Amino acid sequence: MNDDMKMFEFDIRGQICPSTLLTALRQVNRHRDALRSGCARLHFFTDNRDATTTIPDAIRNMGYVVTVTKERGWYRILVCKDAAKDLVSEGS
Amino acid sequence: MAAHPYLILAVISLGLGLAAGGVMHRADYCLAGMFRDLFLFRQSFMLRTLLLLVTATMACLAIARLAGLPLPSPSLFGPPGLANLIGGFCFGAGMVLAGGCVVGTLYKMGSGSLLSAVAFLGLLAGSAFYAEIAPGWSVFSRMTTFGPRLTLPEWLGLPPALVSFALVVVFSAGLVRWRRDGGLVRSARAEGYLQPWLAALLLALVVVVSDLTVGMPLGVTTAYAKLGGYLESLVAPRHFATLAFYHPQGLSYVPPFTSASLHGGAAPQLDALAAIQFPLIFGIFLGAAISAMRLREFRIYVKLPPRQFLSAFIGGAVMGLASRLAPSCNVWHLLGGLPLLAASSVLFLAGLFPGAWLGSRLLTRWVLCA
Repeated sequence: MNDDMKMFEFDIRGQICPSTLLTALRQVNRHRDALRSGCARLHFFTDNRDATTTIPDAIRNMGYVVTVTKERGWYRILVCKDAAKDLVSEGS
Repeated sequence: MAAHPYLILAVISLGLGLAAGGVMHRADYCLAGMFRDLFLFRQSFMLRTLLLLVTATMACLAIARLAGLPLPSPSLFGPPGLANLIGGFCFGAGMVLAGGCVVGTLYKMGSGSLLSAVAFLGLLAGSAFYAEIAPGWSVFSRMTTFGPRLTLPEWLGLPPALVSFALVVVFSAGLVRWRRDGGLVRSARAEGYLQPWLAALLLALVVVVSDLTVGMPLGVTTAYAKLGGYLESLVAPRHFATLAFYHPQGLSYVPPFTSASLHGGAAPQLDALAAIQFPLIFGIFLGAAISAMRLREFRIYVKLPPRQFLSAFIGGAVMGLASRLAPSCNVWHLLGGLPLLAASSVLFLAGLFPGAWLGSRLLTRWVLCA
C-alpha cells in the first residue's frame, strides 16, 4: 500500500435515514482530489441495510470502486480509486 | 366453546405483524424513505415497488369481490375532504423528519434503532396532543368534506370491479415495462436481503389476508392514541377526564368470521381496535427484532447527534398528530385505502407528496446539515 495513503473513517451507525448516503456523498466530494489521485480511502460504518445498496450505486456512478463487507452486526463500505490496483500493489 | 372475537382478531393480527415486520426488515422496506428519496435523490425505485404492492392488492381484492367475498366497508375510510389532504401533508413532513413512518418506526425500533424509539415517543405525544384540538378539528373536518361519495367508482359512477381492473391493467403495463428494463431489481449487498419487489408482493398478501379475515386493512395509529391517552390519564387524570376525544366509540363493524358487531375507539380500554392494533404493533416490532437477531444485526447505538434526537421526536409528534387529523396513517391509506379505491386515501396521497418534499427540505437544511 502507498505510504502516503490516508484513511478516513466515518461512523454513521444508528443515525437517522438518509444520513449514511448524504454523508458518503459529501465526503466523497470533499476528498475528491485525494481519492482520484489514489492517495485516500474512505471507510463508512453503517447499520443501514438500504445504504449498502444506495451508496455503492451512487458512488460507482461517480467513477470510484466501492466494496461492502459485513463486520460484527454492521457494514463497512470502502470507497477508493481502484481497489484492484491497490490489492496488486499490496501483494507485490 | 367458540373463541372470543377479540382473541381471534389478536391472534391473526399478531401473525400478520410478525410477517410484516420480518419482511420489512429484510428489505428495509421504508415507506417514508420512498417519498423522501424521490425529492432528495430523484430516485423512484422504491416507489415503483409501492405501486406493485398497491396493484397486486387491488387485483386480489377485485377477484375477491367477484368471488363474493366480503371486503372492508368503504365507510371505514370516511368521506373525502380537506382533512385528508392536510393530514397527509403534515404526515409526509413528519415521517421524513422522524426517519420512518408509523410502521417503519416499529420495524426499525425492532432492529435496535434508538432514534426510532424516540420517534415512537413523539408519536404518542402527538397523538395525545390531538385530543386537545379534537372538537374544533372535528367540526372543521365535517364542514370541509367533499360530499357523501366514499370511493372513486362512486365519484365516476362506474362499477367498482370495472375501475379496479382498468387501473390494474394500466399500472401493470408500467410495471411490466420497468421489470423488462431491470427497474424493479437492485443488486444486493446486505446479508439476507429481500428484493423490494418480493417484499411488496408479500406485504400485499398480508394486507389482503387482513382485509379478508380481520375485515379491515393494517392500521396502528388508534393504538398510539390509546397509549398516549393512557399515559396522560396517569399524569393528569382530571384533565384527561375532560377530553371528549377519548369518549366516543367511533368504530362499529362486523368482522367476516362472526355476526357480532364489534366496537372501538381512542379510549384507553380493551375494544376491537385494541385487540387488532396492539398485537399488530407488537408483531411488527418482534418480527423485525427476530430478523435482526438472526442476522446478528441487532445493535443499539447511543452516540448520535443531538439534532437527530430532536428531529425524530418532532417528526414523530407531527406524524402522531397528523394521523389523527387525516385521520389515520400512510399504511392505512396507501396499503389499505388505495386498493379499495377510497377517495379519502387518494387525497391523503395527494397531500403526502408535498409534505414529504417539505420534510426533505427541513431534514437537509436543519438536521443533516454538514
